[in-house]
Amino acid sequence: MNIRGMVLLLILAGPTLGQTVDPKVTLAEKKRVEVINKVKPSVVAVMARDGNGNLTGNGSGVLIDEEGYCLTNWHVTNAARSPLLKCGLPDGHIYDAVLVGLDRVGDVALIKLLPKNPGDKFPYAKMGDSDEVRAGDWSLAMGNPFSLATDFTPTVTFGLVSGVHRYQYPAGTLLEYTDCIQIDTSINPGNSGGPLFNMNGELIGINGRGSFEKRGRVNSGVGYAISINQIKNFLGHLRVGLETDHASLGASMESEGDDGGIARIVVKSLIESDARRRGLEVGDQILSFAGRPVTTVNQYKNVLGLYPKGWRMPLVFRRENEKREVLVRLMGVQRELMTDRPNAPPRPQPQPGGPPRPPAPKGPPPPSAKFYKFKEGGFSNYYFNEVAQNRVLDTLKKTSDFTTQHGDWTLKFSGKMLAGLGAGRNMTAMFLIKETGVADGKSPKILADIDGLDFPLEPLNVQERPDAFKDPPESGGFVLAIFLYRQLLAYGGKGFTREFHHGGVEPYYPPSNDENPDYSKIRVMAEVLRGKYAHVETRWYFALEDDKEGRWKKGHLIGFEVTPDKDEDPCEVCLSSYKDINGKQLPTNWFVRRGDRPYVDLKLDSLTAK
Amino acid sequence: MKRLFALLVVVWLGLSVADRAVADDSFAAIAEEVNQKLVKLFGSGGFKGLASYGTGVLISRDGYILTVNSHILDTRDLRVHLYDGTRYNAKVIAREPVLDVALLQIEGGMRGVDIEHYFDVFQAAKRPILEPGTHVLAFSNLFQIATRDEPMSVQRGVIAAYSKLAGRIGIFEASYRGNVYVLDAITNNPGAGGGVITTRKGELIAMIGKELRNELTNTWINYAIPFSARAETTDKDGKKTETSILDLVTKKEKYKPLPEAPKVANQVFHGIVLVPNVVERTPPYVEEVIPGSPADKAKLRPDDLIVYIDGLPVQDINTFNTILANYVPRNEIKLEIQRGDKLITVSLTLERPIDKKK
Repeated sequence: MNIRGMVLLLILAGPTLGQTVDPKVTLAEKKRVEVINKVKPSVVAVMARDGNGNLTGNGSGVLIDEEGYCLTNWHVTNAARSPLLKCGLPDGHIYDAVLVGLDRVGDVALIKLLPKNPGDKFPYAKMGDSDEVRAGDWSLAMGNPFSLATDFTPTVTFGLVSGVHRYQYPAGTLLEYTDCIQIDTSINPGNSGGPLFNMNGELIGINGRGSFEKRGRVNSGVGYAISINQIKNFLGHLRVGLETDHASLGASMESEGDDGGIARIVVKSLIESDARRRGLEVGDQILSFAGRPVTTVNQYKNVLGLYPKGWRMPLVFRRENEKREVLVRLMGVQRELMTDRPNAPPRPQPQPGGPPRPPAPKGPPPPSAKFYKFKEGGFSNYYFNEVAQNRVLDTLKKTSDFTTQHGDWTLKFSGKMLAGLGAGRNMTAMFLIKETGVADGKSPKILADIDGLDFPLEPLNVQERPDAFKDPPESGGFVLAIFLYRQLLAYGGKGFTREFHHGGVEPYYPPSNDENPDYSKIRVMAEVLRGKYAHVETRWYFALEDDKEGRWKKGHLIGFEVTPDKDEDPCEVCLSSYKDINGKQLPTNWFVRRGDRPYVDLKLDSLTAK
Repeated sequence: MKRLFALLVVVWLGLSVADRAVADDSFAAIAEEVNQKLVKLFGSGGFKGLASYGTGVLISRDGYILTVNSHILDTRDLRVHLYDGTRYNAKVIAREPVLDVALLQIEGGMRGVDIEHYFDVFQAAKRPILEPGTHVLAFSNLFQIATRDEPMSVQRGVIAAYSKLAGRIGIFEASYRGNVYVLDAITNNPGAGGGVITTRKGELIAMIGKELRNELTNTWINYAIPFSARAETTDKDGKKTETSILDLVTKKEKYKPLPEAPKVANQVFHGIVLVPNVVERTPPYVEEVIPGSPADKAKLRPDDLIVYIDGLPVQDINTFNTILANYVPRNEIKLEIQRGDKLITVSLTLERPIDKKK
């Protein structure tokens, strides 16, 4: 070929003439197609039934593990009007599914698809890190808008992330989109609950809301996805069948800042709350919350929306020139989950429709029916809660089985007093727990000798002094805590007179030698069992993983707290250094604190149980 | 010949690099850079259907801002939020209704302001017109999603056409009639006006226009006014006057808006929205009454049928428009309307159209 011919060829091959496409473009396209094909099998069509009971299109969802757990929107499952659902997968088949967990405020629901044959694995999408997403990144939305595909092949739309960390006010309901991802990727009715992927095929959000007001329920260039990082925080609660609640701080904020000045927010008002007990006051400037700097009310609400009620998160605030960091337990935004008065009339439901009920029996129940159990008091599906409770308690029994020892227990400790006048002094403590006391012959009785002082307690005796539940003074209720520890070990969930359930996953902050610890570093995530004994609420934290520092192993009880008075700080007992004592693994380090003050640091010398 | 070959190779490689932009690269860095040069505007509005917020583009170190000429500027308390969350007041320096553009300046007090990030609007005006099919990015604070230091929304689009926005009155009613970029993406939403269109490299191209709805089809057009935009008017003596966005930017306070063109229909504001004019003789039923308008003050209601204007029979919507074209603002008119089975007489005082109000 002469040079003239080569030039001609080159021109023909050039992109300007459009004869061939630049290899980089082809490559990008190929990569995109590969990503779509990789994630496609995980996209779910969530169906509803019309008035005649026929299946209709409704929303979308995405599988997040091989067992068939699937994320979607609350408003999608709510429209199905039943916790027993039908879903379509891109393999063309319809699967039975059951509602597991609900987050009404965050508009998220976790459902579980049932395999066709026991043990079958589902394809699923890998969760990414939505904090890495930036405005200007490409994204893929998948789902079943307008119920277009009758064989459940998902529709793919491709577009830009328009903004991140967006806050969207509740639209006339409790539904609030916090810290969400804004996209120009087309979202239409039916896309709700479907996945938003980054260009590596990682799940970064659940598509849920669009600015449809203007153009009559069709795409107007603005859609919102709930960030996957927010959902990860709630997933521990959702998996155990809870109807979760979002958080409030018990304080309202207002923006301040002069012209030309940088924005800042200060506390405008405060109600009785953990935040107030931790020392927050009106007029304090909020600097950061849960490790994220906050300068505007929207940023503050964004961070608040990321966490479930009951979690403890660090709050940094400034008063005049003093900067303080405290751990604050977050309050709820919906009704109380654990009812205070069992005989009180039921409170009105704040949401339209109330919780989904099982459908009226019509023909044989679907196979999903045996995975559903209705229970009032904050559960979306109690079946999954029971399974989770039993799993945790079985592990506890395996490591330290006391379930046949319902007689007298004696616990002996020695250690150092950390609070009050005797702070710093060595001391001993002994507890004797009797199954029945003498006062009424019914209530158990605890006799405690702590540092030479006697503290008797009969927790079920109606004549008992209220203050006895909080003894010794400054501990928040250490005597009661020891007794309830025995209740859990000896009786499991049945040791709690009023209520017992799995409370999902919460952060737990073990004691630190550092006076100003980095909370994000010392924090571990723990499974929580929650029980109520008489009027006393309790939380029991179990390790999800072996501790890197060797303080505990997976499944160990690493701490618990008892709250004899809801308006005061609980007594927290932090457990570590498990040792084998008479064939049972028991914690030997017992560190007790109340609020932000340590009370006592003890070693367990002996435990005898009859 | 060899030299030509080498040159072609270079050109070919260069084009390949340019084409890489269509690949799946993120525009995050560009989005961050452009965002620093834009401002959120908060002004008047907030009542039915009228947003009280918008977007502006910084064009100088001393805080001059270009935005669309809209009702949000009709206030003494015009607020500006910069990308870093600082906020200021701004004042309107000049407005050109025919270009649909306004020039503002940040009021920095005694110290003034020292804006670090801004666009060169003169350079933007010199850029060649982009071909249809070119990929672009759109930046604006649509739906007021962002306040303080929250970044603007970024959207992607393709230029669908470069054409005159000569929408007919009542169809796409626009004060600017010149050339615009028409986009394939939904860029024009409440608050988007005054945002910008850039290339995929972040080069300034055009300003996102106001929301424009076709009253007949209920469709919306997504368009942007290039910074090279020019406009002219002809007065009743046939004398032409020309202007451009750069004129406005150069003359600042000394800028004089174009003399008003001779009166054409619909130069008065009455606040009556009639039903869509779908057939040749559509009866003039009131579909909507704009709150606060002369019609609202006269207590007109939807479903009223207009029968007479100052004694002249109004058979259809076309007649309604023809009659009203003879009036000027501040004229008082008497309407006879049929409401249910009653004939009611009301009078109302016409006002200047909203966009033309000073």
